[in-house]
Amino acid sequence: MSAVVQYAVQGLAAGSFYALAALGLAVIFGVLGVVNFAHGAFYMLGAVATAVLLDTLDLTLWWSLLVVPVLMFGFGVVVELLLVQWLLRLDPLYNLLLTFGLTLVLVELVKQRYGVSGLPYRLPGGLQGRVDLSGVVLPRYQLFVLLFSVAVCVLVWLVMTRTRIGMIVRAATEKPELARALGINVGRWVTPVFGFGVALAGLAGVLAAPFRAITAEMGNNFAIILFAVVVIGGLGSIVGAVVAGFLVGLVEAFGQAYAPTFAQILIFVLMALVILIRPAGLFGRQEATT
Amino acid sequence: MTQSVITQAPADGADVAVAASNPRLRWILLAAGLVAALALPWFVYPPVAMDIVALALFAIALDILLGYTGLLSFGHAAFWGSSAYVTGLIATHYGLPFPVAVIGGAVFAMILALPIGYVSVRRSGIYFAMVTLAFAQMVYFIGYQWSDLTGGENGLQGVPRSFFGIEAVETDSFYFYYAALPILLFGMWAAWRIVHSPFGRVLVSIRDNAPRARALGYEVDKYKAVAFVLSAGLTGLAGGVFAISHGFVALTELHWTTSGDVVLMTVLGGIGTLWGGIVGAFLTVMLADYLASSGFHGIDLITGSVFVLVVLLFRRGVWGTVRHQWNSRRRRRTTSGEGTGR
Amino acid sequence: MESKRKWACASALTVTMLLSACGGGGPGSSGGDFTGDKLVLAVLNDQSGIYKDASGPNSVKAVKMAVADYQNKYGDKAVVTKIEVTSTDHQNKPDIANTKAAELYERGGADVILDVPTSSAALAVANQAKNHKKLFLDVSAATTALTGAQCNKYTFQWAYNTYLLANGTGATVTRNGGKKWTIIYPDYEFGQNMTKSFTDAVTKAGGTVQETIPTPFPNENFATFLTKAGSGNPDVIGTMQAGGDLINLVKQFNESGLKDKGVELAVGLMLINDIHSLGVEQFAGTLFTDPWYWNQDPEARAWADRFLAETGARPSFEHAGNYSAALQYLEAVQAAGTDDADKVVANLEGKKVNDVFLRNGEIRATDHSVVHDANLARVKKPADVKEDWDYEEIVAKIPAAEGFPPAEASGCSMKP
Repeated sequence: MSAVVQYAVQGLAAGSFYALAALGLAVIFGVLGVVNFAHGAFYMLGAVATAVLLDTLDLTLWWSLLVVPVLMFGFGVVVELLLVQWLLRLDPLYNLLLTFGLTLVLVELVKQRYGVSGLPYRLPGGLQGRVDLSGVVLPRYQLFVLLFSVAVCVLVWLVMTRTRIGMIVRAATEKPELARALGINVGRWVTPVFGFGVALAGLAGVLAAPFRAITAEMGNNFAIILFAVVVIGGLGSIVGAVVAGFLVGLVEAFGQAYAPTFAQILIFVLMALVILIRPAGLFGRQEATT
Repeated sequence: MTQSVITQAPADGADVAVAASNPRLRWILLAAGLVAALALPWFVYPPVAMDIVALALFAIALDILLGYTGLLSFGHAAFWGSSAYVTGLIATHYGLPFPVAVIGGAVFAMILALPIGYVSVRRSGIYFAMVTLAFAQMVYFIGYQWSDLTGGENGLQGVPRSFFGIEAVETDSFYFYYAALPILLFGMWAAWRIVHSPFGRVLVSIRDNAPRARALGYEVDKYKAVAFVLSAGLTGLAGGVFAISHGFVALTELHWTTSGDVVLMTVLGGIGTLWGGIVGAFLTVMLADYLASSGFHGIDLITGSVFVLVVLLFRRGVWGTVRHQWNSRRRRRTTSGEGTGR
Repeated sequence: MESKRKWACASALTVTMLLSACGGGGPGSSGGDFTGDKLVLAVLNDQSGIYKDASGPNSVKAVKMAVADYQNKYGDKAVVTKIEVTSTDHQNKPDIANTKAAELYERGGADVILDVPTSSAALAVANQAKNHKKLFLDVSAATTALTGAQCNKYTFQWAYNTYLLANGTGATVTRNGGKKWTIIYPDYEFGQNMTKSFTDAVTKAGGTVQETIPTPFPNENFATFLTKAGSGNPDVIGTMQAGGDLINLVKQFNESGLKDKGVELAVGLMLINDIHSLGVEQFAGTLFTDPWYWNQDPEARAWADRFLAETGARPSFEHAGNYSAALQYLEAVQAAGTDDADKVVANLEGKKVNDVFLRNGEIRATDHSVVHDANLARVKKPADVKEDWDYEEIVAKIPAAEGFPPAEASGCSMKP
């Protein structure tokens, strides 16, 4: 029994990386109609930046959680203004291709600058050690990741539902026709929203730094699982991305525990099933099938 | 959201009309292409030449979907790689002449494409790209884990190159090139036939306006699925020849980066042009080959940047741009064209 | 009219192209005992991907050091004066390795290909060596197939293989008291082979492997697997992951609390560069087999100093292995007086060697495995590190006879 609880918590902790990054992906897609192939690369950059900041400026994880998303926001804005915006009026496939090319460049640049073996990172003292929750022993950091991500998701949700900006973004994401019909000018939000999505990917990268290998390639596989996550959740859905992120984490953990050989295939099987049964994803608008 | 797909692809209808008005030009192009294909191994190391032609067919097969049906597949490595494995296994275990093995691989790729295509074509645009990518990852993991059959990450080594006991072909990659070339040229011819058949015109009309095609009574999903399977089959032909040429199959053939590479070639050469695939494959392979012994390490930096530039500035690709220039010059001279305008 | 002229022009152009090609395509001149009157050592490895640090460009420098040493040693008596070292990047892609190997043998005038990490690439190159009847000295690939089922007359495996890694670590750790093992391994060929070898080695040494846990590859999240592994209360957790996955696992192992419970972590394959880039604190206490360590004895250290001056880094065992392979190849060429592959092979086979890299080395004739003494190493605690790259404490010597499989068991048959 305690093993099951443990797997569940571990799955949710792993899922929080997906949830955070997928949330960013979903928001970008919603407002810009862009599937950002480089999302995995931005996640990687977040982790690399965290390691580099510790090494050069001695910035601890706490500061990185604050500083790196801001930096990534700025980087996202630059990418949007420099590259993405020129293709927004064309077929979204062009931006998929563009961000694919951008991924190759970013990964290679990090490789050239920081090598291929990865960067070191130490966990801050306060987050080391374990927590014993009535028989279920968990690394403290895992629990922290889980709680922190849930908090961020809730915060984003509050911003989306309680503020004017949030409602505009949400309307643009989930009911673009309606938003346009109401005369809401989505255009001016495009650049900051892209930056915001990139910042979320970067934030997931910061959280990954102490717990995972920080290498140029770390985002590649991650990005592909992210795609499965947003397809399962429904591309245009913010809630769907978060829920599917945690769901995929759980599937991964239980798959690893009980059918390790198939753990990774399971995610894609789940995705295929979702497409067959609910083509627009668990939380997507079912009428929109393009 | 944008409705149509690849709207900035060269307006094929207009260009074809011009080309058709000048059939002689087409024959000259074909003859030049054929001569180039025949002469290639004299100038390029023959196994590299073989890679170019095989990848050219791969890019052309992808273009049937991308350029003529408006579907971006990010998972074609599944067909390329699985055909390579099946070809290799047939050649290894049954010792059949390589063309038979290659056909076996292509047939397998088509069989594999049936269920994948059936599910994937329910979605289009972005969704289609991601779904095909995910399916290809499934195939990749199966290949990884089924190491009794595939050799796992060691790859399938020592694939024989059997060809009716003709030793020159079996041992010398120069002669092998000429033995395998007809298979690939057949594939390219088939692609051309598919695109210019009534079936192909339906595909283009689906690309340009799926709801209208549906309203006209075409079963859009069925057309897309057939195009998908045909594209997979041609991809399989190319993958099979590639496997025999190299004498082994590695897991990288199934990896998503292979899917990415071929998309890159197609876009670089020019979407919706068929010829573009050849140009794209030639440039990409020659670049990789050159960089391997150049002392510059960071091929992705160059390919990635070129790709970004092409997508931003030259969306017609190399061939598409050349053809567009040529056509608009002609049109201006003959003053018969109505001008597609930009 | 106009197009007809173009057509004529095109065909004229084609004819000239063909003619010039025919003219240029003659075979290279062959005279004397050396083809092209020179010796070409071609290093073919990963200069841009994940194996770049462990081998990569610095292996090319190591080979150049071997050439310089050979020339200094023999001076005027050297049988060949012109020696070239070329460098080719296989980008960690087996198909590029395959094509480039063939091209190096056929057109690059390569007499020997060196290094070639990644098993699939190495096996493909071995096949090319066999077909072209030219030498291939592999240093960085781990698969036993190179000296087993897929061995051939022209291929040698210089530094290590999965059997050495498993036997070295598995047997020695068990004998030192780590009786109960749980093994976590990536579920593919390398991981499966390593696990089989480890299990044999541990059992033979009197221990038990109570559980083997396969994991997907690549994989980021090892928490579940570690929980599972820890539930059996093992003395040692053996991990066969490599590269980024290894780092993932080690980081998560450190957080899992298993270390505090006294569970040791033994790693199947690890290089000094992994420790260097991640810092000793992550790996402190970890046990692994190192075929050669730069500070293992004064001779190694002296060479490592030269290497440091040359490259700015301390050598991994792969760098030293490349130096050794190149040097012994040149010695064999010197003895044979020719670059004729068959004669050089005859000179290498059965030779007992000691050099910077090889201790009690023997180039086995039966399976072309180059066997030598290796080390079981433990990663030092940060406090014990006295200088840069001082990361390993040698726990035990692994004698060649114990570390490498007996030649009869290799399954190698040299018949063409």
